[in-house]
Amino acid sequence: MVNEQTKSALPGFRVLDLTEGGCMLGGRMLGDVGADVIKIETPSGSPSRIAPYYKNIADPEKSLVWFAYNSNKRGVSLDIRQPEGQQLFKKLVGTADAVLESFAPGYMSSLKLGYEDLCQVKPDIIMASITPFGQKGPKSNYQASDLTIWASGGFLNDCGDPDRAPVWISFPQATLFGGAEGAIGALSAFLYRLDTGEGQCIDVSMQEAAVSPNMNILPMWDVAKIEFRRVGAVSYVPRTGVKQPIYFRCKDGYVMILAIGGNDPYASSSERLVKWMGEFGMAPPWLTRINWWNDYNASTLSQELADKVGQAIEQFTLTKGKMDLYLEGAFQRQILVAPVSNTKDISEDIQLRARNYWVHLDHPELGQSLPYCGPFIKMSATPISYQRRAPLIGEHNREIYIEELGLAEDHLKALRDKKII
Amino acid sequence: MEKKKVFEGIKIAEFAWVVVGPSSSRYLADHGATVVKVESHKRLDTNRVNSPFVGTTPTPDSSMFFGRHNPNKYSISIDLQHPNGRQLAWKLIQWADIVTESFSPGTMEKWGLGYEDVRKVRPDIIYYSSSMQGRGGPHSSYAGYGQNACNFSGFTELSGWPDRLPSPPYGAYTDYVSARFSAFALLAALAYRRRTGQGQYIEQSQFETSLHFLSPPVMQWQINGDIMKRNGNRLANAAPHGVFQCQGDDRWLAISVLSEEQWGRFCQSIGQPGLTLQPEYATLAARKKNEDALDKLVTDWTLRHTAEESEAILQKAGVPANVVEKPSDIYNDPQLKSRNYFTTLNHPVMGDQKFEPQSCFILCKTPRELNRPSPCLGQHNEYVFKELLGMSDEEIAEHIIDGSITTQLVGKMSTTF
Repeated sequence: MVNEQTKSALPGFRVLDLTEGGCMLGGRMLGDVGADVIKIETPSGSPSRIAPYYKNIADPEKSLVWFAYNSNKRGVSLDIRQPEGQQLFKKLVGTADAVLESFAPGYMSSLKLGYEDLCQVKPDIIMASITPFGQKGPKSNYQASDLTIWASGGFLNDCGDPDRAPVWISFPQATLFGGAEGAIGALSAFLYRLDTGEGQCIDVSMQEAAVSPNMNILPMWDVAKIEFRRVGAVSYVPRTGVKQPIYFRCKDGYVMILAIGGNDPYASSSERLVKWMGEFGMAPPWLTRINWWNDYNASTLSQELADKVGQAIEQFTLTKGKMDLYLEGAFQRQILVAPVSNTKDISEDIQLRARNYWVHLDHPELGQSLPYCGPFIKMSATPISYQRRAPLIGEHNREIYIEELGLAEDHLKALRDKKII
Repeated sequence: MEKKKVFEGIKIAEFAWVVVGPSSSRYLADHGATVVKVESHKRLDTNRVNSPFVGTTPTPDSSMFFGRHNPNKYSISIDLQHPNGRQLAWKLIQWADIVTESFSPGTMEKWGLGYEDVRKVRPDIIYYSSSMQGRGGPHSSYAGYGQNACNFSGFTELSGWPDRLPSPPYGAYTDYVSARFSAFALLAALAYRRRTGQGQYIEQSQFETSLHFLSPPVMQWQINGDIMKRNGNRLANAAPHGVFQCQGDDRWLAISVLSEEQWGRFCQSIGQPGLTLQPEYATLAARKKNEDALDKLVTDWTLRHTAEESEAILQKAGVPANVVEKPSDIYNDPQLKSRNYFTTLNHPVMGDQKFEPQSCFILCKTPRELNRPSPCLGQHNEYVFKELLGMSDEEIAEHIIDGSITTQLVGKMSTTF
């Protein structure tokens, strides 16, 4: 036990996780580094137990989203809308260090479970609230979804083909960012508490998280008054508006090759690509004469040349397979090439296998173990370990309510009868 | 104990560049940590040589691409190829609590600045290395940017329209995913050090990290044998769910109808309450089946309004909707303003510029703060070497003379985008 503790970054740090959707990732991250995370869901089962399902069997106990973002947590059921449920929640708070929640602003306070209320129970409690726009302000009461949050952050505006609507990533991302920000905030507050003994509350805005990936797009407007419009699968030079093809069809899919110039590593990579094409007689003389530093930088490149180069490269890539272009191009020829991989390609990737990335967790009720994405990072002194699969509905009610909080058997039964747990 | 900022007193030596490492340390810099960027005139940070630039001639100190990712930091310029430059780096590492780096695996070791060398003298050091595909394994040498990783970690394939080639997330998307996890790991390591006095080595493969933002689809293949496909802006359990064109020049509204209740209110709002009774649209299953026609019907309505008008109408009815905000909208967004998202700071070369926090949260007792604009290249050589590392003027002068402190670009700066 002592040994176990020293290898954990957060031994004994107890987190109550009331979040839903992608925000559940936050509790998962804390659990991964050793916190004791208790996922709390309604007695009828969390609304986040959604598709895709294990073997496509639509059953709340078989949700892959639930599995992915709730491993390394224990789980209890609790209806915090009912007064007795609120009492029990406060009992739990008395034993906890942090609460994560993603309800609408003011909802927890309306249940008398807001930050101030919880401080009465546990003065140094840490509470992270994750919402689309934050707790206060003109849009804080907006109805929102992952897609509308993505729109509010501006990154949606950056993505997609120019002749169609802006497009998101087909697996929702904004709430995952929200969960991660909540976890970082909670851990920051914990470090503050170690120094001062004081807890604090954390107000996460998922809109701000969706602003973050805008790369260089925002200041383009503020500095140069260039209002960016989505460009699709090209590399864009804001000052001249030139769009450089960087996605190419190949025999069995697509690859990205950063066939751009101006600086290294790009320019040298592009030069090596032309040399490779030349070995197959596919580099016309005009192409071999391009100086990738001087003729192909942001100031000198014309759209005409960029298109011509793009066509020549695709002629070449169409003669090869995705993995050939990747493996020979990236590793033998040091060209900036990447395969456009689907989930099957990723699962077969030899690098992930060589690093023993995939982790299996036992699901006894399914009679098998399931594969999971491995540790999000490697930590030498406190390695992330996979202790348990995501909890079933109310799986740890007895363990936590009776064995840890000391509730009597008949009390638990009464709560169950009233559908509070 | 009186303490105004969470990470006051925490010192970070940042050898990492571009986006992932520099964004990770910013969570600490937003809350009081001292971050010193180790740069060189001989090898400019990719962000310094790319758009947008303030003024007509690009210089290493006038890119707001770099600016956006580096406020609240100091910069020194040293030549790590030079043995005396490495001596300076070693001094800085001795000063630091946290070292971050993102060179090709093995580079810091070659220079005698790797984790094993450092921990011998500083067992409490937290040392973070980040690379595309991690150390060890056949692809550890892979060089690239988030723009590369976006493809092999599956985000590109899942972005765009089912009838077309993928339309990838703009730029280095996985950098922004990865930075969250690495910042979190740095904090976890600080908590561990605080308890045990021990540091540790944190090693990141941005590939492995980023997959956590797609883990259900990955499991969907590994367990069910189904490959998830890109599907525009649609979502399995909602309709209408998409981005719809409005009046004006390239104006769009994102709409998500997530329940039958919202569907009813949506139909009321667009003046077609009868739709809820039409068999093609009465149930979610029916709407999914007739989604093309449904989307057309929604567009007929949005095209008659500005994006702002239709957002207001739908929000009033409690239906999730938001203008697809353009950069100019973001700078004027009343919600971001109310949270003081942008801070104007005066930069020595770029003048007044608006900087953003990295932390997307406000701690109620110790809120995030932006105090310093992004640094010019080598701007803080004197401050860091003299005040932080206690070197004398003579020592510093020697390093400038032998070139291990760099002061001039080699040739003319060229830009990629």
